[in-house]
Amino acid sequence: MQVQLFSTCLIDTFFPETGEATVKLLSRFGVNVVYPRGQTCCGKPADSGGYTRESRKAAEHFISVFEATDGPIIIPSGSCASMVKNHYPGLFRDDDRMRLKAEAIAGRVYELTQFLVHVLRVHEVGLKGKGRLTYHPSCQLTRELGVREEPLQLLHSLKGAEVIPLPNADRCCGFGGIFSAKLPEVAACMADEKVDNILQTGADTVTGCDHGCLMNIAAAAKRRGSPFQVKHIASVLAEAIP
Amino acid sequence: MTRDDIVALFIENAAKAAAEMHRVRSNAELNEVISKTTRGQGPIYCPGMTRKEKAVIIPEGRRSEDSAASTVCIDEALGAIAETGSIVLSSMGGKPVQAGLLAAHHIAIVSSETIFENLDQFFSSWEGMLPTNITLETGPSRTADIELTLTIGVHGPERLSIIVF
Amino acid sequence: MSASNKAIRFRENAARAVGDRALRAALSNAAGVFTVKREEAFQSTPLEEWRELASQTRLEVLDDLGAYVDRFSENASKAGARIHRAKDSAEARTIIGGILKERGIQKVVKSKSMISEEVNLNADLLRDGIKVVETDLGEYIIQIAGEHPSHIIVPAIHKDRRQVGRLFAQKLGCEYTENPAALTRIAKKVLRQEFLSAEAGISGANFAVADTGSIVIFTNEGNGRMCTSLPPLHIALTSIEKIVPSLADLPTFIRLLPRSATGQVITSYMSLITGTRKLGEATGASELHIVLLDNGRSEIARGEYREMLKCIRCGACLNACPVYRNVGGHAYDSTYPGPMGIVLTVLFEGMDRGHPLLDATTLCGACADVCPVKVPLPGLLRRLREERVVQGATPKTEQVAMAGFALLAASPKLFRMAQAAVSALWPIARKMATGRGVDYFPVPAKKTLSRRLS
Repeated sequence: MQVQLFSTCLIDTFFPETGEATVKLLSRFGVNVVYPRGQTCCGKPADSGGYTRESRKAAEHFISVFEATDGPIIIPSGSCASMVKNHYPGLFRDDDRMRLKAEAIAGRVYELTQFLVHVLRVHEVGLKGKGRLTYHPSCQLTRELGVREEPLQLLHSLKGAEVIPLPNADRCCGFGGIFSAKLPEVAACMADEKVDNILQTGADTVTGCDHGCLMNIAAAAKRRGSPFQVKHIASVLAEAIP
Repeated sequence: MTRDDIVALFIENAAKAAAEMHRVRSNAELNEVISKTTRGQGPIYCPGMTRKEKAVIIPEGRRSEDSAASTVCIDEALGAIAETGSIVLSSMGGKPVQAGLLAAHHIAIVSSETIFENLDQFFSSWEGMLPTNITLETGPSRTADIELTLTIGVHGPERLSIIVF
Repeated sequence: MSASNKAIRFRENAARAVGDRALRAALSNAAGVFTVKREEAFQSTPLEEWRELASQTRLEVLDDLGAYVDRFSENASKAGARIHRAKDSAEARTIIGGILKERGIQKVVKSKSMISEEVNLNADLLRDGIKVVETDLGEYIIQIAGEHPSHIIVPAIHKDRRQVGRLFAQKLGCEYTENPAALTRIAKKVLRQEFLSAEAGISGANFAVADTGSIVIFTNEGNGRMCTSLPPLHIALTSIEKIVPSLADLPTFIRLLPRSATGQVITSYMSLITGTRKLGEATGASELHIVLLDNGRSEIARGEYREMLKCIRCGACLNACPVYRNVGGHAYDSTYPGPMGIVLTVLFEGMDRGHPLLDATTLCGACADVCPVKVPLPGLLRRLREERVVQGATPKTEQVAMAGFALLAASPKLFRMAQAAVSALWPIARKMATGRGVDYFPVPAKKTLSRRLS
């Protein structure tokens, strides 16, 4: 099977190791990963601020890159996957031609863990993990994409790793894209609460499916001098591959 | 649901709302409960309008005609709703609904056959012009406005006793 | 609530609020308790069925709001009530002030009404020399304190027992106590006298029934009943979207509202008031005035934000909101705080005043999860953000940055150049940055993924 990878601008610019881990992980399950050149950003930063015109431009570019390809589009980010899947068609509500294209693209998109569990039917990664993990479920991943059990299923299947439930897991970490830039005082409180909950678990690593959240949590953890690591689920799983 | 089931459900749900529940089958039992639950409390007001209200025996010197100055109000409810554990009061026929509101201890007599199973049945039983006031009373008055700490007994009664007859 | 058109200083208010440890503890506790109680209350109930039914009923009324208002007015009048339609806050105040002044009434007892906050009633009556005695304990507390409610269900939640104790000692001259039961008893004693001597009572209404012309009032304390069945004159102030078609529609809302608000199956008291005291009755006001406030609702009901009017004012979204939980109601500087407050403030008070509140959300969606009538809050917030941009109410620098973003996102070449620039300038930016915040920023990778994979 062949898939197209959309890495997301955050991973491309700041966390390329997550992108590499995603490729390694998918390859392990026999998938050939293609990385379409010319990809940039899904447009979410503009969209969440209400800048429809600007996010449409990003969306148009995304569509033009990916419509020249076939097969599933894998996105290792809940918010970006939801942006394309759930919000792209609405961006073109006044443009039938583009909306149809957007719907076609949206139909091909999977968030990474969604793809692993539902398409590849990987319930058991068959890998040996280690350490004490806790999982932060990001807001768009759960509430907009409905991905709740899949990441936990994958983590639980890591033999040797302990997965500890995160208290108040469904509370927003305070990233919210531009929210954390516009209301940093409130965002810091929300991130602190998330860090407190992580500390309560005693886990050495917190993982999740969204680098926006993880970046925010890592910043708060660093500010607080908290001892845990922050890692994307792709890396956690890929690291377990011998 | 059978009548017995409905009565049982009403008693269960009213108790959950902190109403003190009693079950009687005769005027004698009614007055036994009333005597026990009003011991040591002040003046008692009873409208004496319904048959069961007229059967209430109030000891000498304790009867009051002023509901606002009474510690206890004993009246018969129009009915009750099992789903929520509520008694129903109405202004129909000149019943002074506010009497049970002003007293510190409201003792309400509920005839078992007047208990509705649920809210839908209750509301569909009304036709035509409604009385001015229909009140669903569920447990004693309460507040949690200060630090969410529950305090029973604010402006309304601090005790609600329900006698299912 | 505010006559000013000046933009709400949310960031400033919020920053101050998060620095207030006592406030945060109080809010966190309250939100936590309400959340747990709500969940417990809805266990083993057909919640989704109820939500859908309630949502449909609301939409049915909103589709034909004018007709429902007419039907309610007609039936309430038949039962003896006088109906007044108030186009806006000013009109509502004038009507109520007029009714009281005409009769020479100088003091009224009042039970909780968020609409009265919306139209700023109390201050206005005070100016006319009419004393308003708030009788809901939480409202009474903040009235003595000279503050506005910080939560639509528990108005004084931002105060702890010590603060209330000090307030009572100072303003009522009683001995200091911080025991909530004792404080409640003090308030009860003061207010009982007021109830028994009041010439008029003002209340809100949670719902209004079109078919019977009845208003429905939920309370726990009994003050609502005191205000509406003891004084000879009762003025009920409510808004037009609270109308439900018939008595048969009430059960669903009775099942949803108390559980969503406080986790109770039902409040201690629920009164259905239909008109004035009738022949042969011994309960009820002899004069009932119902003031129906529009304040923009008819228009909103016809537009794309109509679903916001489904709101039944339960406060569940406040308790679920991570922003509200951290800053409390006062930071919003508006009648309605929290997620529903952001939408209502912009709709009722305008974009100029309300737009900063549109930042007060991460669009996490926790609010939509708990809304008993399925108000699509995140969707409405997104649309309002789009409106804000279209109206030019966002900062100039942000607009420029977004335009730049669009250029980069549309051009891979420019995008790669920008990535290279960020990576190269990073060490310099770090040296120049004044705040420590930059320490916690992620470091741009030396080799981007696209380069690694090419």
